[in-house]
Amino acid sequence: MSVDSVGFRGWSERLTSPWLSSWSIARTGLLLVLRRKLFWILLGLALLNFLFMFALIYLKAQLSAQNPAIERFVDRILTSVTGTGDSYLNFMFLQGTVTMLMLAFAGEVLVGSDFQQGGLTFYLSRRISRRHYALGKLLGIGMLVSLTTTIPAVILFIEYGAMTDSLTYLRENWRILLGILGYGAIMATVLSLVLFALAAWLEKTVPLVMAWAALFVLLPVLGRILSRVQDDEDWLLIMLWRNLRLLGSWCFGSVDAGEETELIGWAASIVLLVCAASVAAIIPRLRAIRVVQ
Amino acid sequence: MSETPSLCRFRRVSKWYGAVIALNDVSFALRPGITGLVGPNGAGKSTLIKLLTGQLRPSLGEVRVQDVSAWSAAARSYIGYCPDADAFYEEMSGRAFVRFMARLRGYRRNDAHERSEAALQQVEMTDRADRKLGSYSKGMRQRIKLAQAIVHDPDVVVLDEPLNGVDPVGRAQLVRVFRQLADAGKAILISSHILDEMDTLADQVMFICRGRMLASGTLEEIREMLEDHPLKVRINAKSPRELAGQMLRLNAVRGVQLEPPQSLLLEVERPGEFFPELARLAAKEDYEIEKLEVVDASTEAVFDYLLRQAGQ
Repeated sequence: MSVDSVGFRGWSERLTSPWLSSWSIARTGLLLVLRRKLFWILLGLALLNFLFMFALIYLKAQLSAQNPAIERFVDRILTSVTGTGDSYLNFMFLQGTVTMLMLAFAGEVLVGSDFQQGGLTFYLSRRISRRHYALGKLLGIGMLVSLTTTIPAVILFIEYGAMTDSLTYLRENWRILLGILGYGAIMATVLSLVLFALAAWLEKTVPLVMAWAALFVLLPVLGRILSRVQDDEDWLLIMLWRNLRLLGSWCFGSVDAGEETELIGWAASIVLLVCAASVAAIIPRLRAIRVVQ
Repeated sequence: MSETPSLCRFRRVSKWYGAVIALNDVSFALRPGITGLVGPNGAGKSTLIKLLTGQLRPSLGEVRVQDVSAWSAAARSYIGYCPDADAFYEEMSGRAFVRFMARLRGYRRNDAHERSEAALQQVEMTDRADRKLGSYSKGMRQRIKLAQAIVHDPDVVVLDEPLNGVDPVGRAQLVRVFRQLADAGKAILISSHILDEMDTLADQVMFICRGRMLASGTLEEIREMLEDHPLKVRINAKSPRELAGQMLRLNAVRGVQLEPPQSLLLEVERPGEFFPELARLAAKEDYEIEKLEVVDASTEAVFDYLLRQAGQ
C-alpha cells in the first residue's frame, strides 16, 4: 500500500519564514504584558515624563516665536529641552528608571512562565527552532524597552524639529537621531539579554525582582561605596546602568578625548562581558528539556 | 494493521541524560489509528515523545518522520503535539492561543484564522473560545491544546496524558474527537498511565518500562505472547460441572476451577485454538452459557504480567 492511499500527503503549503514567527512571539509577548494593569500604570508613569518634556518643548517654541530674543534665556532655564544630544541622553536615562521597574515585573510574563509552566514545549513543537524562539523573546523585551525610551525620544526629536521654522534642525542634527537609535539599541539589547537570562533561571517574579534590584540598585550602591572607600573611580564601572549611559554618550558623540574615551572602552568591555555571560546562561536553559515533571 | 505503512519510525533509539539511560534501544513504527503508550512514571514515555516531536536528539539510533529526521523543522509539519502542561498564558483567550500557534506554524494571518476556526470547530470549542484560558475547566483546556495540535492538519498527533483530570463527560467528548482523527487516517499516539483508558481507546498498545519497550501490538497479540501466563476465562453456565468436565478434555485448557454456584474459571494456553473449540461445544451441547469474560486481557493485567516478566 502506498503512503498516499492511507491519507498521508506531501507538505506543499506556502508558509512564511520561521524568522517571521519571531515577530509573532514578540508581538504576543508584548500583548500579554499589556494585558496587566500594573504595566499600564508603569507605562503611564513613563508617559508622564514624556508628556512633560513634550509640553516644555512646545512652551519653549511658543515663547521663542513670540519673542526670539528670550530664546537663550529660556534655554538657560529649561536645560532639559535644549535640543542637544545631552538632553535626549538625559531623557532616555531618566526613562530607564521606570523601564527597569517594568522589566523586573515583565520577566515572568515574557520568559519565566515558559520555563515554569512548560510553555516552551508548545514553541519547540512547531516549525521554529530555539534560535527563533530566543530571538522572538529578546525582540519582545527590546520592544518594551523601546516603548519607554527610544520611541518617546524620537518623538521629542521630531517635535523639536517641527517646532522650528524650518527643517534645518532635523537636517543638521541627524547625528542626534543616530545617537537616540544607537543608545536605544544598546539598552534594548543588553537589557533583553540580561532579563532573558535571569527570567529563564529564576522563572518567578519575586526572585527575579530581587536579582534585578541587586543588579541595578545594590551593585551601584556598592560601586559608590567602594569608589569612596578606595578612592578609586574605577569601582563605578560595576554600575551597569552607568556603563550603558557612557556608551550612550559615545553614541551621541558627546565624549571628550582622553580619559573619558578610555573609560568608555572599559565600559564597553564590561557590557560585552555581561552580554556574553547572559548568552552563556541562556543556551543551557534552551537546550534542557524538562522530561519528568 | 501490519500492512499499512508507518509514518514515524524509531530505529534502535537510545537516549542518555548524563549517566542515566532514559531510553534503551527502542524500535517501533507508528501507523494510522490510535496507539497507546503505557508505562509507569519515569519509564521513558516523555523522553520518547520528545524525541518523536523533535525536541530532543537521540544519543544513538534515529527517529524519522516520513523520510526526514524528527529533529528537522520539516518533520514538525507532520506532527501535532499536545503536551501535558496546561498552565499557560492564563490571560490569553483560547482562540488567540490557537491562532498564535497557527502563526508559529508559518501560516499567514488569514490562513491562520481559517485554520484555527476549523480546529476549534473540530474540538467543539468555537462558542467558548473567546474566554480566557485561565477560566477554562481541565477538559476545556485539553480541547484547546488538542486544537492547537491539529491546527495544521498533521498526520501524526502526539498526546501526552490528554485525559488526565478530565471529568467523564469531557473524557467522552475527547475520546470521540480522537476516534474521528483516527478514522480520518491519522496516527494518534496517546501517552497515559491510566491503563483502563487504553482498553477501549487504543487500537495498539506499546508498553514501556525503565527505558525499554516491553511489548507492542494489539492487546490480544501481546496477551497471546505471554505464554507463562495462561489466559483466564470466566464462564457462567447453567450446568458448570458438566461444562468443566468437557473443558478439561480440551488441549488448550490447562486448568479449571469451579466458582459456585454457576461459574468456572479456566486457564487457557492457546486462545486461538480454545475459542473456536468452545464455540463448537456450545453449539453442539446445551450448556446454556450465560456469560463469558476474559479476566486478565485488560491493559492493566497485561502490563502487570509484562512488568513481572521484566523483573525476572
